[in-house]
Amino acid sequence: MKPAPTLSSAFLHPVGHSLPEPLVALRKLRGTALVDMPLPTRKTENWKYSSKYLKLTDDMAIALPAEGKTGSSLAVPGYKVAFLNGVMIPEASEYPDLDGITIQSFDDLSDDEAADLADRLDSTLDNNAVQMARLNSARFEDGLLIRLSPDAVLDQPLFIVHEVTADASGSAFPRIYVDAGRNSQITLVEEYISSGSEPVMVNTVSEFTLADGANVTSIRLNMEGENVQHIGATGVRQQRSSRFESHSVGFGGPLRRHDLQVRLEGEGGECKLNGVVVTQGKQHYDNHTTIEHIAAHCNSEETYRNIAADQSHAIFNGRIHIHQDAQKSNADMNNKNLLLSNGAEIDTKPELEIYADDVKCAHGATIGQLDEASLFYLVSRGIARREANVLLTMAFINELVEQIPVAAVRETAQTRLNQFFDQTFEEA
Amino acid sequence: MLSIKNLHASVEDKEILKGINLEIKAGEVHAIMGPNGSGKSTLSQVLAGNEAFEVTSGEITLNGENLLDLETEERAREGIFLAFQYPVEIPGVSNLQFLRTAVNAMRGHRGESEMNAAEFMKLAKEVSKQVDLDPAFLKRGVNEGFSGGEKKRNEIMQALLLQPKLAILDETDSGLDIDALQVVSNGVNALRAEDRAILMVTHYQRLLNHIVPDYVHVLAGGKIVKSGGRELALELEERGYGWLGIKDEDTADSSAN
Repeated sequence: MKPAPTLSSAFLHPVGHSLPEPLVALRKLRGTALVDMPLPTRKTENWKYSSKYLKLTDDMAIALPAEGKTGSSLAVPGYKVAFLNGVMIPEASEYPDLDGITIQSFDDLSDDEAADLADRLDSTLDNNAVQMARLNSARFEDGLLIRLSPDAVLDQPLFIVHEVTADASGSAFPRIYVDAGRNSQITLVEEYISSGSEPVMVNTVSEFTLADGANVTSIRLNMEGENVQHIGATGVRQQRSSRFESHSVGFGGPLRRHDLQVRLEGEGGECKLNGVVVTQGKQHYDNHTTIEHIAAHCNSEETYRNIAADQSHAIFNGRIHIHQDAQKSNADMNNKNLLLSNGAEIDTKPELEIYADDVKCAHGATIGQLDEASLFYLVSRGIARREANVLLTMAFINELVEQIPVAAVRETAQTRLNQFFDQTFEEA
Repeated sequence: MLSIKNLHASVEDKEILKGINLEIKAGEVHAIMGPNGSGKSTLSQVLAGNEAFEVTSGEITLNGENLLDLETEERAREGIFLAFQYPVEIPGVSNLQFLRTAVNAMRGHRGESEMNAAEFMKLAKEVSKQVDLDPAFLKRGVNEGFSGGEKKRNEIMQALLLQPKLAILDETDSGLDIDALQVVSNGVNALRAEDRAILMVTHYQRLLNHIVPDYVHVLAGGKIVKSGGRELALELEERGYGWLGIKDEDTADSSAN
């Protein structure tokens, strides 16, 4: 038997950006653990449909330079933090100046702060399940630490723009850590974009810890180009009566992978996870979510929609794990999928593991095409066939797009969706 | 206005319409009656251009233009309107958005400028009152969660908004209580105009008490077997279809209705 392929040693030598010593030490520790890390293959259950798209050649190991011009499709006034190839660009950033809210680049942390952060990094993710997050921990060059004191409220959304410049092959490793104190509130938008056309990889980790009563809304907009492999992970830990809301809108690429793990650790916690994925051409998109109901009396609600056109491939894997003590859990997971062509493929897998006996748990998954009767009804009113297709496709995701609580994100997503419609539905 | 000559149509290789001939002039109201499975709904669907039905021979012209050459949406823009027997529910598309898109498609075809959201809202509210639909229905998904009667009223509302040349009403009276029937009939009567024709497809004559037709045709076994004035409907009500020699085996295909 052929030995499983392992991560190339080229990835194990971080270079470049200076960081406070405790973070450098952490990175080194994680790097050492990566030696001989087996790469996912199609026999790796949670990479079954995606390992063939993963390309970790040596040229991908090169850190992309932290310089160049930044741009964003979210041209909005307000709080903004710009990252270029995983390193923060202060001159393109605009911070809120509010009591109780600290936003710092990892670079700017004192050694004490950095030591504290080093203890917390990776604490939200199950690294055995999310192997590729370990690579980020070994390679991040910078990052953003957001801390909210008890009762602090960020009055407007914070936009974090992660841009990668693909003028040469290489990788970027964006990192975010959000520490939301008791009863604090924040809405943040992570937007992933790219310029240039060389093959590159973006390997992200975002972590959120929510203290009692904290309320965090996380919006993720994945808009990178056709040359970008994106492998991201988000980990969330929620304490008593906290609420986490996630809205993700993603467009496909050569490889798009996002793992979202939520741990409901305190009673009365709530999470709501919404996701929209659109793929076309030969694109790929793979969402893996896990909700751990650990404490009793928590609610989770998950709604994902995939739309696949042409020969593209979308994957949804949703796992709900209700632990033995998580009585009175309420979990509802729903995944609907729309195939717009005979050549497209969608794989969906709900996984429920329930060890408590007094829970409410519902799940549903469907895969279908646009409804002929609905199309006929629309065109019988004089509506052009293309327009009818657009109306029905939009109808499939409207409910989720409308729930995104930031208008600029809805508009950016809609603009990109309109491009997709133009490319997918021909004029009559 | 509408001329149908020797129309044959099949679904899944089973012939349903077996030589329909029908002439409808502007300003006229025609009723097509017949037992279940006679091909009434098939005729409506074929006129609107449903591709599930294949026209094997014959012709249909609207004001001299060959309808069979046109796609469904083109027929609609030329003035064909079908009020569906079973309107579909389309969650996620608001009724308002749907109606405005349709009205603007028609306006665009006629070379008129599009109506903006505010203009259209005003118009839609007026017309919704005409069919006694609460304007709140405009914000809901197309027919989503509407009762049978509300769906039928929504169909008539669309006809009033789109102002077709030929309105085909497929069993518009089915499932309506007497009050809803009155509302729907008032809407249809408001559509009556010198430059417009109406074709009603119905199983029962009760609708014809509210919307009085100029001509009544009996469809059986995929053919029109008798035509007459409105008194023919009353006669059918009284005597059933048996006296016309229509037996059960004459039905074309019960699954088509």
